[in-house]
Amino acid sequence: MRGRSRLLVRMSASITTQSAAPAASTDEALVSAYGRGEERAAAELVRRHVAALGQFLYSAGADRDEVEDLVQETLFRAFRRLESWQGRGSFRSWILTIGSNLLRDQFRRRKGRQVVSIDQREIPDRADPHADLAARDTEERLRQGIAALPRLQREVFLLRAQQGTEYEEIARTLGTTPGAARVHYHHAVKRLKELVR
Amino acid sequence: MSGCQWLSDRMPAVALGATKWTPDESQHLSGCPSCREEWDVVQRSSRLGRVIGLGLEAGSTSKTLLDRLAEARVERLRRRTWSFAGLAAAAAIAAVVWTQRPVTRSMHPDAAIVAGLPMTLPELDGLQPAELDSVLQTMDEPAPADSTLDELEGFLDSWEG
Repeated sequence: MRGRSRLLVRMSASITTQSAAPAASTDEALVSAYGRGEERAAAELVRRHVAALGQFLYSAGADRDEVEDLVQETLFRAFRRLESWQGRGSFRSWILTIGSNLLRDQFRRRKGRQVVSIDQREIPDRADPHADLAARDTEERLRQGIAALPRLQREVFLLRAQQGTEYEEIARTLGTTPGAARVHYHHAVKRLKELVR
Repeated sequence: MSGCQWLSDRMPAVALGATKWTPDESQHLSGCPSCREEWDVVQRSSRLGRVIGLGLEAGSTSKTLLDRLAEARVERLRRRTWSFAGLAAAAAIAAVVWTQRPVTRSMHPDAAIVAGLPMTLPELDGLQPAELDSVLQTMDEPAPADSTLDELEGFLDSWEG
């Protein structure tokens, strides 16, 4: 009887470990698991990175009502060629650069960036309407400024400022050197400082 | 250490809440307009679009994604099957056309003459050169290159009488 209970405990522990595995796994392990046909691994990867991807795309100039579609398309493209992610940079940095390429293609198709209308702006929750308006204006200028940056400056800046990515990893992801990534970041900051003054 | 470069490198981590300013860093920040401006940019940028990102629903996103990936797999398989079937059909048509083609070989005019040489006509063997010349003169024109053996036999019969 004692042996049977021990077996049950072990089985239940095994089941718990298996169901908790995706959340505890690294992105590399999840990508491998998806490659073996485990759809749960894909769902976990989406859960981990969808918010960052949406934030990145919006900050890089995507319209608010297009973000969801762009996120979907970015993930679709990424998952269709998962084998091309060779673990040089993080999975997140990789999908963000795919999203950036997608956005660039969209801008090209439209022959230039869109002017964002006031009702598409992100509205901070503030009590003071004047401060609210000023903050919205500054944020909008910042967003348009980021969207207008050269591609490498924009990607380096957003990876660093929004994701806290180190220069070494940014360099691996974007195929440049850490020194060059640092220079791109500082150029971007210099331009953006002028916009928020 | 709290120089501008040091602070600049630390800004993203502090803006994302991974760490906090030390008293030295805070002091530098309050006295350095350039760092304050950069800090403002980094802080605002780190928040930009966060609400939109958090508003995306992971469950429905992954469901739609998995459905699209499954559709794409089916479509790829279908395209591969169709292209294989197309290739097989093309190969079958080519084989039929090849095996049923009429066997006509174009012949060089000289080849017809050369091909005519080995034909033996024992009836003419016993003739003297002069007799042979007169026989040849009675022939209006050479038999056509594509004449059959029956036609040639008919021609010889008419000549022999």
